[in-house]
Amino acid sequence: MSKNNSYRILNTRLPRVDAIDKVTGKAIYTDDMSFPGMLHGAILHSPLAHAKILNIDTSRAERLPGVKAVVTYKEAGTRPYGVSPARYDETIFCHDKVRYTGDEIAAVAAVDKDTALEAVNLIKVDFEELPILLDGLHAMDEGQPQLHERYKNNICAKVNWHFGDIEQGRKDSHIIRTDHITSKMQDAAFLEPQSVVAEVDSHGNLTMWSSTQAPHYVQRTLAMALNMPLHKVRVIKPAVGGGFGPKASCSTVELATCLLALKTGKPVKTTFDREQVFLHSRARHQFFHTMTTGVKKDGTLSFLEHHCIMDGGAYSSFGIAAVYYAGSLLGGPYRLKNMKYDGYRVVTNKPACGAQRGHGAVIARATFEVQLDRIAEELGMDPIELRLKNVMEAGETTCNELYVSSFGMKEALEAVRDSAAWKKKRTLAGKTRGTGKGIGAACGFFVSGAGYPIYRSKTYHCTVVTKVDEVGGGVTVTSGAADIGQGSDTVLAMITAEELGLNLDDVKVVSGDSSLSVDLGAYSSRTTLMTGHACKDAARDIKRQILEVIGGKLNIPPEKLDLKDGKVVGINNDIDFSALREEYLQEHKGFTDLPDGPELTFREASRIAFLEIGSVVGTGSYRPPKLGGSFKGATVGTSPAFGCSAQVAEVSVDLETGEVTVDNITGAHDCGFAINRTQVEGQMQGSMMMGMGEALMEQIIYNDKGRIMNANLAEYKIPTSLDVPHLDAIIVESNEPHGPYGAKEVGEGAIMPVIPSILNAIYDATGVRIDELPVTPERIIEALKKKRENK
Amino acid sequence: MILPEFDVLVPNTVAEACGMLSKYADKGVRILAGGTDLLVDLRRPIVPSEISSCDGCATHKTGNVRSTIDCGWWESDSSPESDRALLKKVQDSIHQYPGYLISIHRIKELRGITTNEKGSLRVGAMTTVTEIERSDIIREKWTALAEGADSLGSPLVRNRGTIGGNIANARPAADTFIPSVALDGVLVIQSEKASRKVSVDKFATAPGKTVMEEGEIITAIEYPAPPEFSGSAYYKLANRKALEICNVGVAVWIALEKPGGPVADIRVALGAVGPTPILAESVKKVLIGKKPDEEIIKKAAKAARDDARPIDDHRGSAWYRSMMVELVTDRMIRLAVKRAEGEA
Amino acid sequence: MKKLVTLTVNGITHELAVEPRRTLLEVIREDLGLTGSKKGCGIGDCGACTMLVDGVATFSCLMLAIQADGCNVETVESLAENGKLNKLQRSFVDLGAIQCGYCTPGMLMTATELLRRNPHPSEKEIRRSLSGNLCRCTGYQKIVDAIKAVAGE
Repeated sequence: MSKNNSYRILNTRLPRVDAIDKVTGKAIYTDDMSFPGMLHGAILHSPLAHAKILNIDTSRAERLPGVKAVVTYKEAGTRPYGVSPARYDETIFCHDKVRYTGDEIAAVAAVDKDTALEAVNLIKVDFEELPILLDGLHAMDEGQPQLHERYKNNICAKVNWHFGDIEQGRKDSHIIRTDHITSKMQDAAFLEPQSVVAEVDSHGNLTMWSSTQAPHYVQRTLAMALNMPLHKVRVIKPAVGGGFGPKASCSTVELATCLLALKTGKPVKTTFDREQVFLHSRARHQFFHTMTTGVKKDGTLSFLEHHCIMDGGAYSSFGIAAVYYAGSLLGGPYRLKNMKYDGYRVVTNKPACGAQRGHGAVIARATFEVQLDRIAEELGMDPIELRLKNVMEAGETTCNELYVSSFGMKEALEAVRDSAAWKKKRTLAGKTRGTGKGIGAACGFFVSGAGYPIYRSKTYHCTVVTKVDEVGGGVTVTSGAADIGQGSDTVLAMITAEELGLNLDDVKVVSGDSSLSVDLGAYSSRTTLMTGHACKDAARDIKRQILEVIGGKLNIPPEKLDLKDGKVVGINNDIDFSALREEYLQEHKGFTDLPDGPELTFREASRIAFLEIGSVVGTGSYRPPKLGGSFKGATVGTSPAFGCSAQVAEVSVDLETGEVTVDNITGAHDCGFAINRTQVEGQMQGSMMMGMGEALMEQIIYNDKGRIMNANLAEYKIPTSLDVPHLDAIIVESNEPHGPYGAKEVGEGAIMPVIPSILNAIYDATGVRIDELPVTPERIIEALKKKRENK
Repeated sequence: MILPEFDVLVPNTVAEACGMLSKYADKGVRILAGGTDLLVDLRRPIVPSEISSCDGCATHKTGNVRSTIDCGWWESDSSPESDRALLKKVQDSIHQYPGYLISIHRIKELRGITTNEKGSLRVGAMTTVTEIERSDIIREKWTALAEGADSLGSPLVRNRGTIGGNIANARPAADTFIPSVALDGVLVIQSEKASRKVSVDKFATAPGKTVMEEGEIITAIEYPAPPEFSGSAYYKLANRKALEICNVGVAVWIALEKPGGPVADIRVALGAVGPTPILAESVKKVLIGKKPDEEIIKKAAKAARDDARPIDDHRGSAWYRSMMVELVTDRMIRLAVKRAEGEA
Repeated sequence: MKKLVTLTVNGITHELAVEPRRTLLEVIREDLGLTGSKKGCGIGDCGACTMLVDGVATFSCLMLAIQADGCNVETVESLAENGKLNKLQRSFVDLGAIQCGYCTPGMLMTATELLRRNPHPSEKEIRRSLSGNLCRCTGYQKIVDAIKAVAGE
């Protein structure tokens, strides 16, 4: 589909604003930075998964020539921090215990990286080994090792929800099925390992450059954990090489590097090795889902009873939100009156899990969408028809009180059905089931920005300050929003250019800096909707001020003027701008590049506005209205808007080896309105690839000591260009009333249908269901073998 | 940098390299070819798999970790400089870090793909996997080797990785090693004093261990000329389509007496199902002298499965590998027969 | 002990004293300040550090600087001429082949080598040649499209 509206800039395929820097090698990422006299940091990680710390001796590390500082909990203190204030369960360094292989014990700053690494090896820690807990499914059982005193039976969070009436739902059901799916911990595998540079100026102001998704939260955590006033801490995000969730929480590498900078008074840089990215994790949890769903004879959903255990590793991180999301986001995209959810997040001696694209909802979605397929089969219904029968429409509210203000679910499902020639291919299914070729479909549902911040506050979620260059001509958008590769800077530039009638090159975006504005950051697919609103308001504020000045000077009501194509235009086209032109020309004697023609340019108008009223600054702030119900945990899952998506996957399976080839993926996503069509497709295609990896090959493998066996990108397998097929991305636009220009999310919602559509296609190809992710060739062969043996 | 300290020597001739190998033998010396395995192996892990400890330390030996550094030298009253030296000694003893790497990239005689008048093939040890992949003559006559090259790692690994290095590293899943066993490759090994030849199938003794002795270097791999009505094939089973470590790899070379006729000779090599690539000897007994029909190929594949000794590890289970050895052997024998008959 | 190494990088010849254990990537990034080439894994798994060494696409994290002595090295910084993007770069920009940009320098260098060797590769050849360069953002689709657009000319 192509653009069909009157926008000049929006809804087009303009190149990203950082594209040229990124193809020339000019874009600066944190590890590319260096300062005179900069020291290098290194971290000592625990070699054991669970042990008491008896003693830490840093004396030999300290006396190694070139070492400038060694820090442990003794210097860092033991103030707890974390993501959710109710679950602050981390300290900068371990002091009483280590809880996973990789837990951070100490850090060193030295004149070079080699010396720092060497010094780390010279720190002696005496441990008393403790029994280790690796089995998330049984972590709550009696007699298991206990990780934290405060988490009895290793339960760090639980959710018990009941909406509607499950018993009634049960009575109304014609078919009731129970199914399970288990996944493995997964890694976000962003290409850029975390990197941090910290520096303290002579007034004690700490500045940290970090590969982060959320400068604002990180600023708060640094200030709190380091016991500093908030205004003395500044977090800047240079170019970031992907985040996908794990970079949204403040990490030990950030805290430790700041501590080292504070202690030495010198800039310090610490960059993770790829192995440390895996050790630090904060990525996808392991899920054990059990779902019981009932439907009426005609396919109408009558209830869902959902039980989930999530293995979250050693600490909470973003996991509290994850356990809520796993339940709440099954409220849509289908009409479902009765839903019960019991979710438990447990701790084990593995790296902590946090947020990853789609947060807690991805495997829950996969489990449910696979179950819908099985129900469709039992009913003898086409799986897409079953879904179409149940999809919600705009204006409806889910049983857990999520209001859906725009909803292109039906359109998305029909688009993939038609584009992938589903009906034709599926009618063959009866004959081809189990012959190695398969097709499958699924839907998804996701928030367009979390309705509430992580810490309880009335704060605006984002502010944007846009300033007109005093010399006239250009504008600079300043924002705390974090472009981590998803393209939010481009979105802000496009919105500003559209509003002010400028070209993209006339708009500079300075972002990702906690000192510029409040912005909660790049998570929960929030930036386009939320920061987009603030950005639009800031631009309109500027426009109003400029037009007021010009209108005042010309005695024309400002509402009769507009900014278009770089010029001031009037409703009727016969305005005489010559006096203003003269004023501008008078100021620029000797310049040759001067405007002529009958219209007043933005350059002139913005200069004249400055001459009249001083700095022309526009501001915009956004926070969502009060959202959601009043039950416990009702805030998680709320959003000003919801995205939805559908996908058809086609696969070939070698029934003898179990090898899977994904032949085609057709996805449709309702993003409300595409600010940049290329970027929307890019988010969809990236989601398809990531979901495909999670479905087929990605898993963290631990040995019985809790060590990761595949902490590298050779053995933690993400899809290569040869694995990924042609990815067909269809944009659906439903015009979201709460979004700027009708826009809402695409970054995470697009991953929702990927895993289940592939799982459903594999079933179609093989005739067997595999309830353990990832679906490796071996698991397929195992399932086929079981099926043969059971015959 | 996570690489340990070492010096790098760059010889211009094989003789010079051999001289260096003997001269620095007691300091720990390794040959650096493409570096795609060696420089990975030499990297210090962030979380050590073993705790730094001195030789003979009691806690080290029992494997009972009680401390990140757990041995006698910690207690000794040494200077900062000797801390450094002691730590290096401890790490060298755990990881067996070499003091010297001999980078053989300048030695011209180690490169190149040539055939002689008898039709046999010589591949210099420093020939890159990409060069093998792009060689028309290898693809035509030693097809399994070309297919092994195709499937090794990624184009970037193949651009740097060499056949000599891939074989010398002696990993059971090495993608040029497995077909070289099936193709009856012979390694030409040189030392300061002498040169000898070792059949590729007798080369590896355990993972990472070979019959090579101190001071020796592989200079080339030679493959006999394929007789008329012969063909070969290699397939690697893995979870993704590039950048993979083989889960099961099977290379087959077969010679027929005539098209449609009985098997004159067969060599089946199995990868990743034993401590080294395995030459499945039992297959010969089943197939030689017989017409390769469906029944007999099935039997041969079963025999290959019996020769395999797969284990359970984080890459796959023994039962799956065992089953796949049979299946892939079956497929590869068929494909090789087709090729021998000029059909594929 | 440091050793002298001569590297010609993007047309400029440098004589450098380097520790033998240092990789080409480290020397180019740290000593020459050319930070366009990225380190994503350090062990040849991701391709973000890809450079052309004597015309061959090479992961510079697994090549010692000493092994590149006397070689001609090309990095992403060499592609644009006089501030003007070359066709391949332009195509990446115009077709949206970039998101986080961390794989981009390596992708460009691998694609540069491919197009020099084979100016009109098929989609399959493109995908095969990129298979050592991981990208986590784009699903590869727009990268393949961008190379195809240049190859089709």
